Amino acid sequence: MENLKEKIQAIAPSAVFEENTQVLTVDVDKNELHQLAENLKNDESLAFDYLQDIIGLDLGDALGVNYRLFSTKNNNQALVVKTKTDDRENPTLHSVSNLWQSANLYEREVYDFLGIKFIGHPDLRRLFLRPDWKGFPLRKDYDIESNPVTLKNESVEEFEGSEKLELDSNGHIKESNFQLFDDKDYVVSFGPQHPSTHGVLQLRVSLNGETVKHIDPNFGYIHRGIEKMCESYTYPKILHLCERLDYLSAAINRHGFCLCVEKALELEVPERAVYVRTIFDELTRIASHLLGWASMANDMGAITAFIYGMRDREKIMDIFEETAGGRLFTNYSVIGGLMQDIHPNFQKRVKEFIPYMRKMLKEYHTLFTNNPIAKQRMLSAGWLKIDDAISYGVTGPSGRASNWHNDIRKIEPYAAYNKVNFNEITRENGGSFDRYMVRLDEILESLSIIEQLIDNIPDGDYKAKTKPIIKLPEGEFYQRVENARGDFNIYINSKGDKTPYRVKFRSPSETLVSALEPTVKGEKIADLIMIGGSLDYVIPCIDR
Amino acid sequence: MKSLINYFKSLFEGIWNLLLGLKISMTNLLRKKVTEKYPENRKTKKQFERFRAQLTMPHNDKNEHKCIACGICEMNCPNGTIQVISRMEADPETGRNKKVLDKYIYDIGTCIYCNQCVSTCPQDAIAWSQDFEQAVFDRDRLYMQLNNPNSKVIEKPKPAPAPKAAETANN
Amino acid sequence: MFDFKIVTSWIDNLLRVDLGLDNFWTLAIEFILVGVALLAAYALIALVLIYAERKICAFFQCRIGPDRVGKWGLIQVIADMIKILTKEIIPIKRSEKLLFFLAPFFVIIGSFLTFGALPFAKGLHAIDFNIGVLYILAVSSLGVIGIVLAGWSSNNKYSLIGAMRAGAQLISYEISAGLALMTMVVLAGSMQLSTIVESQADGWFIFKGGIFALVAFVIYLIAGHAETNRGPFDLPESESELTAGYHTEYSGIMFGFYYVAEYTNLFIISAIATTMFLGGWMPLHIPGLDGFNQVMDYIPSAVWFFGKCAFCIFLALWVRWSYPRLRIDQLLKLEWKILMPISLINIAAVAVAVTI
Repeated sequence: MENLKEKIQAIAPSAVFEENTQVLTVDVDKNELHQLAENLKNDESLAFDYLQDIIGLDLGDALGVNYRLFSTKNNNQALVVKTKTDDRENPTLHSVSNLWQSANLYEREVYDFLGIKFIGHPDLRRLFLRPDWKGFPLRKDYDIESNPVTLKNESVEEFEGSEKLELDSNGHIKESNFQLFDDKDYVVSFGPQHPSTHGVLQLRVSLNGETVKHIDPNFGYIHRGIEKMCESYTYPKILHLCERLDYLSAAINRHGFCLCVEKALELEVPERAVYVRTIFDELTRIASHLLGWASMANDMGAITAFIYGMRDREKIMDIFEETAGGRLFTNYSVIGGLMQDIHPNFQKRVKEFIPYMRKMLKEYHTLFTNNPIAKQRMLSAGWLKIDDAISYGVTGPSGRASNWHNDIRKIEPYAAYNKVNFNEITRENGGSFDRYMVRLDEILESLSIIEQLIDNIPDGDYKAKTKPIIKLPEGEFYQRVENARGDFNIYINSKGDKTPYRVKFRSPSETLVSALEPTVKGEKIADLIMIGGSLDYVIPCIDR
Repeated sequence: MKSLINYFKSLFEGIWNLLLGLKISMTNLLRKKVTEKYPENRKTKKQFERFRAQLTMPHNDKNEHKCIACGICEMNCPNGTIQVISRMEADPETGRNKKVLDKYIYDIGTCIYCNQCVSTCPQDAIAWSQDFEQAVFDRDRLYMQLNNPNSKVIEKPKPAPAPKAAETANN
Repeated sequence: MFDFKIVTSWIDNLLRVDLGLDNFWTLAIEFILVGVALLAAYALIALVLIYAERKICAFFQCRIGPDRVGKWGLIQVIADMIKILTKEIIPIKRSEKLLFFLAPFFVIIGSFLTFGALPFAKGLHAIDFNIGVLYILAVSSLGVIGIVLAGWSSNNKYSLIGAMRAGAQLISYEISAGLALMTMVVLAGSMQLSTIVESQADGWFIFKGGIFALVAFVIYLIAGHAETNRGPFDLPESESELTAGYHTEYSGIMFGFYYVAEYTNLFIISAIATTMFLGGWMPLHIPGLDGFNQVMDYIPSAVWFFGKCAFCIFLALWVRWSYPRLRIDQLLKLEWKILMPISLINIAAVAVAVTI
């Protein structure tokens, strides 16, 4: 730790280390940022190769950006690099997208919401909002009336061109425009209404016959401004918004937010709640992977397999409904514990479900995995190397298929995960088949976790006492949880009020979509759909 | 030669696996069907008791409810679904002015069933029903008044128990 | 066994002798009658098949399928048909109008011409060419023109990709289908469908022809499947990739034509397979068991024919609802690297076996 501090200090003399923070946090001047980032990434002894998130903040007098870095080679050492720019009129920062591929979308997001322009970014468009959107919504002085809803049929500017900022030799910023697609390109638009985009996502694909040449994802069709809404909600009210991010990992997301608030409050959660929450998380994971499997099969044309997946997922939904009262959105974790105690039938039902699911998994393998058509298709396309996976920030099952050990349940165990034995499923090759298999194997692993916990749920309270109005102490709080798609991170910046100052969710799906570019290039259209299924992204998680 | 053997080996393996796949779909064809015949099974269909379909305010047989119009549910509702309209009325015994529930308006069209209102209610005055058939022809009918006309709040035996406040904290 | 010749010659007699019409008018009336009967059968079979597919698909998927309109949902398909007839035909602004409206007719005519040449029962055979097999192969491949035209004229990128796929697919699989049928022609020694059926009186080709016939049968089913654009070969449509492929832009009855043609094509493929491999309307005869053969003869020939067709159709549905879709390169590989070499070897082997 001290070693790391010294090295950073040597690279960036302006670096100031913050006291009393959860993770090592360093403030640097914006002019030294790129230098520091380059060294952090490329220095073998530091090797911060995973840029988890870029969080843009309105600091009042300045606009700040937090870079959340991890070193996968170096024991997952975490580091937060902070920088800020005082110029609110024309804020600029140096882009790090040449170092980490994941920065590409993150910087566009920061530009979209806070208006910080990144010099050197290859494709600085708005990510979620329309090009004609006025103002930057996450700034505190944003006028909510500045974009009135119109019901006219406005002609939407074609998103053909993009902006690029570069520094010329004199250090002046030079703006240039470029075309995303050639005039001669055969551009096919998949989505926003398309059966296989798993939500309202638009993929514009330029084709050469059946072969994909270039792919450009376009987000924002269902952007709800959840992060902005959070700024005016009290903490218990935010919980239900968390569920509506990645609706297939609803319980896990909600659990994560509860954990983050509990950590900030230093609240002791009863063991019973911890166990039940873990079981719920794993059931959610199974349900999500089942749907992932089913919809991937559907994407490949096996509609029957889709129905089988949905049929078996229904059993989990019933378990949820009986105990929590909700199906997709279980609405079960609350700050301090659970909404209500488990239903008397809960354990019995779960124990019935485990052997049933194991039997069905065998059927899935016979029906679909070993089917030569499916197997050959999956084995022949969609390779993602481990370096790319880390650089693009492809976490979760998809990252583990590329042999990246990124399971947060292992790295930073939360809830009851340090009390159970389970294997982190990884595979070597990083192909579509590996991503597919990781998911099915994780279902088995989740079943074994549930099996270990279900009989040992301790007695006692299901909820800790909390104050009627929850106020978080001042500070910044991070909580990572492993949701069904990967590294889900919750960032709360609190000023001590009953509402947060800034909340940022790290969406694992966003990076999954950005990873389409390296995996799909040169493959067929049918593979684009199949690889999309194997990455298993959920769009509402991106369009927060 | 070897490639030829491999060619036939993979060919027959492929055919065998295809046949196994057919077997699975055939076993499923013979299995019991999972479809629920919904309107037909209406009488036997039972929702789980914790299922949240619609907010209700239980009244006892004297047309009395427990709501004291404190407005905590309205405050805790993330979507502004609940509207508690109250009036001040003089208590006949003490003569002090007291809040009395006038109308409890619930807009099911915006309700997201987050349970914040029920779990924070200090009086347990509201509860969920399991009646999930909520389709109506007119959007206005999604606005519901939960308290019955001319209903009254249940008079509590005095003195009012003090530790209620602690329970309020339950969330 | 009931011979439908009795009915047809009675009608002929009625027109010629009792009504005293001359040859031209007799033929004209007979043609119209045959045409109307075939059209009715064509539509009816499509309706039945649509219902069957929906039900069987549901059963494979642990569902019940349509069961709301009529008992067991029997009227559902008719209701759907009425709906599709009353729906608006939406002309696409930037489409190639003439070709756009012409394309469905190619598809429907192609399949209807094939349909007319099928021997449905003993004596129930509209046109019995001496080159029947050749004729069937020729007219059944007309449909691809309609599909490619549809994709081209819609001025839609999905449609175009679907049509291109259809072109590649149908032309490739025509070869295997043709070779598989030729294998049977070699066995029968004739291209006339009635002769082929007659020559299976002492045992269907699938039994008589041994392993060759079995291989040819399987290859024909696969290739036939591919020609009808049905799963796992539904690449031209490929719902999850191209939304609806070549018929994305069609609506109302124009779409209905494609829909009906798809199902009758399925029937036609099964009917050809029945005729060529399973003995057509010929009952199951086992040489030496005369009593058994006589019992079999009591079952009407139409029942035999449609029963066998139903079996083939069930096989098709079973496969369709079990397998994922192939990718275009896999599809072509399957044809050119597996099916075609095997059928070539097969036809050569049969030729040798027959000569010996």
